[in-house]
Parts: sequence; structure tokens; C-alpha cells
Amino acid sequence: MSDPIYTEIIIDEARNAQNEGILENPDISQHDANPMCGDSITLQMKVNDDTISDIKWHGNGCTICKACTSVLTQLIKGKDLTYAKNLKKEEILSELGLEHLIRQSPVRIKCALLSLKTLKLGLYTYLAKKIENSTSFDNLKEEASKLY
Amino acid sequence: MQSSSVSLENIQKDFPILQRTVRDGKPLVYLDNASTTQKPIQVINAISDYYTNHNANIHRAVYALAEEATEAYEATRDKIAKFLNIKNREEVIFVRGTTEGINLVAYAWGRQHIKEGDIIVTTEYEHHSNIVPWQLLTKEKGAKLEYIGVDDNGELLLDQLDSYLKTGKVKLVTFSQMSNVLGTISNTEEIINKCKQAGVKTLIDGAQSVPHMKVDIEKLGCDFFAFSAHKMLGPTGVGILWVRKSVLETMEPFHGGGDMIREVHKYETTWNDLPYKFEAGTPNIADVIGFSAAIDYLTKIGMDTIRKHEIDLTKYALEKMSQIKGITLYGTKDLLKRGGVISFNFHDVHPHDVATIVDRDGIAIRSGHHCAQVLMERLEVAATNRASFYIYNTTADVDKLIKSLEKVAELFKL
Ligand SMILES: Cc1ncc(COP(=O)(O)O)c(C=O)c1O
Repeated sequence: MSDPIYTEIIIDEARNAQNEGILENPDISQHDANPMCGDSITLQMKVNDDTISDIKWHGNGCTICKACTSVLTQLIKGKDLTYAKNLKKEEILSELGLEHLIRQSPVRIKCALLSLKTLKLGLYTYLAKKIENSTSFDNLKEEASKLY
Repeated sequence: MQSSSVSLENIQKDFPILQRTVRDGKPLVYLDNASTTQKPIQVINAISDYYTNHNANIHRAVYALAEEATEAYEATRDKIAKFLNIKNREEVIFVRGTTEGINLVAYAWGRQHIKEGDIIVTTEYEHHSNIVPWQLLTKEKGAKLEYIGVDDNGELLLDQLDSYLKTGKVKLVTFSQMSNVLGTISNTEEIINKCKQAGVKTLIDGAQSVPHMKVDIEKLGCDFFAFSAHKMLGPTGVGILWVRKSVLETMEPFHGGGDMIREVHKYETTWNDLPYKFEAGTPNIADVIGFSAAIDYLTKIGMDTIRKHEIDLTKYALEKMSQIKGITLYGTKDLLKRGGVISFNFHDVHPHDVATIVDRDGIAIRSGHHCAQVLMERLEVAATNRASFYIYNTTADVDKLIKSLEKVAELFKL
């Protein structure tokens, strides 16, 4: 039986989701939820020399949310913060053949992108704190504007 | 009430929306009635007729239209009183829905009567609308909110109520007559009687009960009762709050404005009579009149016929669903203790995935926490799927749902 969303790739990715778990002493820990459906996840990252040296996630999500979160964590693990900041939704969706959700399912696209939203939120907060500690508010604004 | 001979067989033809198709030509199968119900043509026509022929503000002008509008609006109040066996029409207050009704009580009664150290008791299977207003009130007053727990069968643990009542500090017990997630019908009379003996007020959330079973408010003997028109074939934006007159007389107004006053001076105002003291501003006239047509429709069928139809359908559905691979069904198996609401989950498949798959077959079921996150915590799930029935649903609808759910089990290799 074939299905436009629930392909074997997605069901397998969700069932065998990578990087699920909890990190001890993460540098970034960000929680976010989708109030409409109740999907909720926490992303945790270790940052060394502006590189995401480790990443884990935990939470409660549907198949689409889990599969996309798994893909996202694999994409940014070991990459630098700039790469993570610039990560585009299309890159995640295309890994799973879910680009059609953008146009066809305004509800389910939110499930697919919850982890990306959480990632950006976490990075934003992390960078804002770093900048606050060292440089001026103008720098903070500039950094923040580059994020989105 | 009419005889139960009115046939439900051809009832779907009264509901224009049930004739349409969704998702590339699939006939709509609507199974989200606990959320809101569809409207028969009689209700749609009543609203349209009001705007076409009678539209005017009520309780004010002397011209013919205003008189007609006022009469139709007030006739609905009488109809509701009769429908629920309410003795005094001035105890029937029009509100926006159950949520506004409960908030009105929390504000206009609660702020007056709840003091520091008092206890308000609710239950683990309440809708958020019967939890959050009490959190707000108890926080403001330094009072306490306590919960009656739910057992594994989905029924209330009433011995917990006994121990709360024993403290002597309980001022209000508030609970739904039927759970919107598990379908459990509360032991309403028993709870009310216990509270009465302890001199404690009771509020019944009738959002799920009034649409699906016969309710007699006089016989129940509670103090507050709230429900929504849109869950019983009526329009959105109309609900009823009933308050026992002796209690209503101790309450301050909710909203201030037009209609609720007797005389307004620069610094002093006197209040209008009951129930108008609690109906400030121009109300939802058209939809109240639409609601009137919904009550006529339900009365013609008979609430006992509706209840029996839903018991039969629930029995049929539970039997078939329990045979699907990987499914967990929640709630009691005793059909006399539950309404036509079936919550379920599939092994490790998230409810949103299930709802998306059955939606492609044109079937509308709900997935999520159903505004009952406290209950979700109790069940130790993040969400459930929920199919809920009404008078226009048939065994053919259930068969379609079953077929679609079998697809889920197959896709996910359960
Ligand atoms: C048991 C229960 N209480 C309260 C409500 C709230 O009703 P409304 O949204 O019409 O105010 C609902 C509806 O979702 C319900 O099922």
C-alpha cells in the first residue's frame, strides 16, 4: 500500500529516530511545543569552538515531527553554528520527500518544522547571551537579524 | 416529548453539509461531534429568516420588528426552560457557550464567595474550561484547587470527594456530567447529594450531556449548570448558564453595560431584574433564535431515541474497533455508563498520523489532547484519537472508519 506522506522512508526514520536522548550539561537546551497538536520537543546541543559537537533530542511528536527532527540532528551534528543558523526547511523536507507539505498541508507542515523552529530559538538565545556578555547591543541585533 | 417513532434513517438529508464531498470526491463522514455538531437546514433557515425578515435589537424599541425579535429571543428562553425542566425562566442566562458560563460563575459568584483557605473541587477529566477559571480564582483568593481522580475504567474515584468534603473547607464541586474524552457519564446525582448534605454548591458542565441524553435540572438539584448550543445542532456563539435563583440573587454582575441596568447615574447604577442583570450588551439574537430551531428538532426526535441510537452505535463501533491490530481503547465497557465518544490510540503511531490517514478517506475524527491535558497526564499519553457520534451517524459510517483504521495498522505494520 502506498501513501503520499507515510512512506517507508518516513515511518522507518521515525521508528529508528537518530540522536534521541538526553545530554548532560548541554550548552544549548531549548524546548518548544505546537499548541495546536501538542507535539513538544527539547533539543540539546554541546558547542565547542562554534561547532555543534553533539546533539540530542527528546519529546513527544508524530511520525512527521520525529522523522524531521531525526534528519535535522543528523544534518547539523559536527557542523558549525553558521551552518545551523542558515539551515533551510527545504533541506530537511527534501531528505524525506516531504516538500509537498509546504503547499498541500498547512497543518502538518508545522509538525515537520517544529524541530527547525526549536533549533533557531535555541541558537538565538545562545548567541544573544554570548553577545550580551561580550559586545554591544548593536552586535546582538545584527546577529539576530542574520539568524532568520 | 414525542414518541420515539421518528425515524433516524433519513435524517442525513436534513443536513446539507453531509451531502458534500471532501478530499477529491470522498463523501464526508463526520465523526467529531464532541467538538461541534453539524446544523440541520431548519436551524440554518431560522437564522436566515431572522436576518431576512425580523432583524432588530431587542428589549429596547417599540416598533414592530423590535417586538418580533424580542418575542422570538425570549420564547427561546422559555423553550430551554421546558426542555430541561427548569421552573423559573429568570434562571436561564444566555452566554456565548459553556466556557463563558463557567467563567461567569467564577467571576460573579466566586469572587464574592470564595475566601482564603477555601477549597474548590474539580475532576481529572475536566475540559480546560472547567479548570483554568478555577485556577485563576483560587490563585487570586489564596484558595485551593483539588481534583477527584479517575480510575483505570475512566470513572471518578468518589471516595476522594468524601475526604475533601470532610475537611469542611469545600465551597464548590464542579464537574462534567459526561467526559468529552472518555465519554464517561458521571454519577451526577450521587455527587450532588453528597455535596448538598455537606452544604456545598455544585456546578455541572453539561456541554457533552445535554446534547446526548435527557437532562432534568429540577431533579438534579445542582446550583449551576452550563452548556453550549453548537454541540447540539445549534449555532456557535450561544450557550446557557442556569443558576438557582436563590444563588443568583447573591451574585454581583459579570459585565457592565446596556440592558443589564435599571438606572444609571453619574456615580451610581441600579441593576436590572434577573436574568437581564447578567446579559449586558446586544446579545447574539440571531443564533439564539437558531438554537430554538435546534431544540425543536431534538425534541421532535426525542432525547431517549437519541441516547438509544448512540448506545447502539457505540456498541457496534467498540466491538469492531477492538479487533483492529495494535489499538488501545479508553474508557469503560459498560455502555450505560458512557456516551458516544470513543478515544483510542495505536501502539506507537501518533494520533495526528492516524487522523491524517483517515482524513484522506473523507473521515473527520479528532486527534490531540481535546482540551483535557490533565486527563492526558493521568492516562500517560500526549494525545488520543477520538471518534464521536451524533444522530446522523450510521453503522455505515463506522464501517468506513474501521476500514480506514485497518489501513493505519497496515501502513505502520502493526
Ligand atoms: C465537557 C466540555 N466542557 C466545556 C466545553 C467548552 O465548550 P465551549 O467551547 O462551547 O465553550 C467543551 C467543548 O469542547 C466540552 O466538551
